[in-house]
Amino acid sequence: MQFKNNRLITILFAEAIVLCLIAAFRLINLETTVTLLIFNMLFTTVIFQLKGSVNRKLGLLSMGNIIGLFWSYIFCSLSAAGASVFGEGFNVVYAIFYPFVNFMWVVSFWSLSLALLAPAKNADTEG
Amino acid sequence: MIAYLVRYYIFTVTVLRRERKTKNLPISNEVNYELTVSVLIPARNEELVIGRLLQRMTQLTYPTDKLQVLVIDDASSDGTGQVADEFARRYGFIEVLHRDGKTGGKGKAAAMNAGLERSAGEIVLCFDADYYPQTDIVEKLVRDFVDPEVGAVQGRPVVLNESQNMVTRLVTLERIGGYRVDQEAREQLGLIPQFGGTVGGFRRCVMEELGGFDESMLTEDTDLTFTICLAGYKVRYAGEAECYEEAVDSWRAYWRQRHRWARGHMQVCFKHAFKVMFSRKLSAKEKIDGLLLLNLYFIPVVTLASFFVGVSIIFLGASQLFSALWLLMPLSFYSLAGNFAPFFEIGIGAYLDGRTRLQFLIPLVFLAYMYNMLICTKALLDLFAAKLLGKKQSKWAKTSHFGDRNRYI
Repeated sequence: MQFKNNRLITILFAEAIVLCLIAAFRLINLETTVTLLIFNMLFTTVIFQLKGSVNRKLGLLSMGNIIGLFWSYIFCSLSAAGASVFGEGFNVVYAIFYPFVNFMWVVSFWSLSLALLAPAKNADTEG
Repeated sequence: MIAYLVRYYIFTVTVLRRERKTKNLPISNEVNYELTVSVLIPARNEELVIGRLLQRMTQLTYPTDKLQVLVIDDASSDGTGQVADEFARRYGFIEVLHRDGKTGGKGKAAAMNAGLERSAGEIVLCFDADYYPQTDIVEKLVRDFVDPEVGAVQGRPVVLNESQNMVTRLVTLERIGGYRVDQEAREQLGLIPQFGGTVGGFRRCVMEELGGFDESMLTEDTDLTFTICLAGYKVRYAGEAECYEEAVDSWRAYWRQRHRWARGHMQVCFKHAFKVMFSRKLSAKEKIDGLLLLNLYFIPVVTLASFFVGVSIIFLGASQLFSALWLLMPLSFYSLAGNFAPFFEIGIGAYLDGRTRLQFLIPLVFLAYMYNMLICTKALLDLFAAKLLGKKQSKWAKTSHFGDRNRYI
């Protein structure tokens, strides 16, 4: 029973990730989809080698995808709204800051995931 | 830039795989390889920290009949010489080489060469005056010299004053990424681990064969790394040989230190890049990694330039181009964050060290990288200016130490 439940959870997480990728491609833009793909590739090849259950890691990965999707959606909406209010100049500003904005969630979520998975060996020495 | 991203990715995965394979294997301290060792401590105006290191030298577990500790008091104007003399009076294996204003004060490389002449050990180790090593560090560093092809060995510096402020925490993250993952992976992959000039050592006969340190170099350690490799010897990394160091604690000090490193590294690149490319003693993978290592400090300059190019493209209206460009830009930025180690490399290093709380600061390493873009650009301009004006570097360029970090020990 436990085994079946675990498999069900794994399938649910995997589905969530696939749905996020499809939504990013269909609803937002190609750049967001590529960002999510890179995030997924890094996460699966690096973080999946760390200690912890597969479901926990898959859960973090799917949460990362959902956050990334919403993050990009919010900023794309902001860009569209800004362009209609302030004109095309706003899109230039958005394009300049796009790399910083888009990847801020990747790095933040990455460090958060590592902190959640890490065995705190040296916590007593940390200031 | 993508090449660097791939390189760091390979390093991270390599270290993770190795960690999984070896985590259950006991670390052997059984190797009984006791060559005669000289420890060189170049010091200029270090009276506030030199006593701490010398005290530690008296606690080393290496047999004192095979150990020589030589302090090179390089024309200090403070009490460095007196502190060292006091230790030399009490302990037979500690010696002091005093250099006055005429012979000394010409830079760390010159001081090291003077120390090298006076030293007697088969292996020569170097420690900066602000360092605080493990008591068995000599055994750990000497162990790799059992292989006659090894010319130099590098240990791992660990930041002592990490909790002091945000700058020291960010430097800690950079050091973790750089040593726990980067150097470790280079060692595992048979590439070129970098000799850092401190917490490390070299074989005396190799050094004599190579003619000592190049005194015209600002980063004589990086220069030595490539000189040794080009001569057909290996540089090894001994990650278990740990030594505390004082990290810079202000952005101003960070600027000065990194400016020196960047300028020196660029100097070394101009000196060795072609030799590395056409060397018959280096394998193809060593050549590729060596060239990437040599060009490391040019990358922030390229990033800054590409940012301006990207912005210009946007304003010129080449919208087809900028979409693709901006996909690469964030990757480049974040792949090179910190001491040019990417966020995932730093993150894995912190994970392997069990530094849970420090991991939350990883996004801020990006600030350090932004700062490095300015530092490296200034360093490159200064290097060109010095070339044009024919200026030579022949004085000490060092970080000030105040000894108030003893409380962290």
